[in-house]
Amino acid sequence: MTALSDVSLTVREGETVAIVGENGAGKTTLVRHANGLLKPTKGTVLVDGVDTRETTTATLSRKVGIAFQNPDHQLFSDSVENEVSFALRNFGFPQELISKRLDWALNFFGLEQYRKSSPLVLSGGEKKRLTLACILAWDPEVVVLDEPTVGQDSLQKEKLAQVFRMLQSTGKTIVIVSHDVEFLWPIQPRLLVMSGGKLVADGEISRIMEDRELLEGARVTQPQLLRLYSGLKSRPASPFLDVADARTWVGRGAG
Amino acid sequence: MFRRVVSPFHRLDPRVKLLVSIEFFVLSLLVPTVPAIALILFAILLVSAVAKSLRRIGRTIAFSGFFAAFIFAVNFLFGLGLFNAILYSFRFLAIISSTSLFFVTTSPDELEQIMKWMRVPRDVVFAFVTAVRFIPVVMLDAFQIMDAQKSRGLEFEKGNVVKRVRNMVPILIPLVVNSVIRSGELAEAMESRAYGSTPKPTSLYVMRMRWYDVAVALAGLLLLFVLTLYIYHFVSFGV
Repeated sequence: MTALSDVSLTVREGETVAIVGENGAGKTTLVRHANGLLKPTKGTVLVDGVDTRETTTATLSRKVGIAFQNPDHQLFSDSVENEVSFALRNFGFPQELISKRLDWALNFFGLEQYRKSSPLVLSGGEKKRLTLACILAWDPEVVVLDEPTVGQDSLQKEKLAQVFRMLQSTGKTIVIVSHDVEFLWPIQPRLLVMSGGKLVADGEISRIMEDRELLEGARVTQPQLLRLYSGLKSRPASPFLDVADARTWVGRGAG
Repeated sequence: MFRRVVSPFHRLDPRVKLLVSIEFFVLSLLVPTVPAIALILFAILLVSAVAKSLRRIGRTIAFSGFFAAFIFAVNFLFGLGLFNAILYSFRFLAIISSTSLFFVTTSPDELEQIMKWMRVPRDVVFAFVTAVRFIPVVMLDAFQIMDAQKSRGLEFEKGNVVKRVRNMVPILIPLVVNSVIRSGELAEAMESRAYGSTPKPTSLYVMRMRWYDVAVALAGLLLLFVLTLYIYHFVSFGV
């Protein structure tokens, strides 16, 4: 059984890339190649020029941090601070740096109050923030997020969007696998559309999201702001990126 | 683990499949010579081939090889002789593969039917069958947990024995926690679907013996009877 075929792409340093597609399209399979969890049976995967088949997952993970969809698949420590410092110890960080990175991660993700608590008793949103804290604590160059918004309420999604903006401002390379087009739209990432194990589109999100036939084939919906934009008789030069823009434009037209 | 396959053996009534496995099991214990136990093992493999499960039974035998070798070594070193050592290790393999033959060819639904037919209490049947059904789910969980921890720099294959055992903790804890959470959710889901509301619920699947089930069952019993007589009257024990 072939999970991926003819997938050829380059992700540049500092880029934000979103991967969308139907269930079973191969999105998660693709990103698992980024840190060597999966090795290609044909072709090559290079991370910073290094062939993933010639090095270990642990070594690659130092550069590529993957936050998996289900936080319950990784939380095991007796405290939040031990959970965050787990990877730092595995990577051989000195104790002083571990403390610094731990303090930063807990403060940034609003988890300082849970420092001594068991990660297993946190809420869904807190666990999600904790898994991100665990990844960003070791400051990888590439951050891969697998369905980061699943099961998250609007407040958690807003917090996630803030994390995104922070990551983008620090020049991190970000890869997001998501079905949540509403979350992706304001970010305006480079969009990869996958279907049946193949890469069917690669380019600007605003251009790709206008191709309804392509989206239908990949079972991806158009963002609501784009649908509104497409439905207007009189509209601005480029699609609305947020609700405020849309409201202002539509309000101006109604007035 | 059961996998759905179309084969003459899979089509048999599950009680007949159980009977065949028991017959192999009993014969494995009865036969006193190395050629005889080798023949039993060969017969099990032959039936596995009919059941299109030869590779899976072969894998079971291969995984049990370590223990079989251990049994051989212990018996040989304790002075029971080369042939007895071979006999006992082959017997172990025959027992394992005859049991595996049943579970590989019998679906969880059929297992449930057999246990009900044996008058096992309903809750025990449900717990057992659910546990069997969830084996692949728990395995998948385990792989995903291992991937998540590998992505945090955990290296399972490095270090001495103590370190490798400690490295299992980040796998086992999430696995156990997820399993406990899943059982709780399953219990709630079952209650919401009226589990336990009727003392005698009906069943979607009903076991029915057809002519070939009866034929195989009778043939198997006759063979077992004849072989048992033969072993006790004509074969001397020892090698």
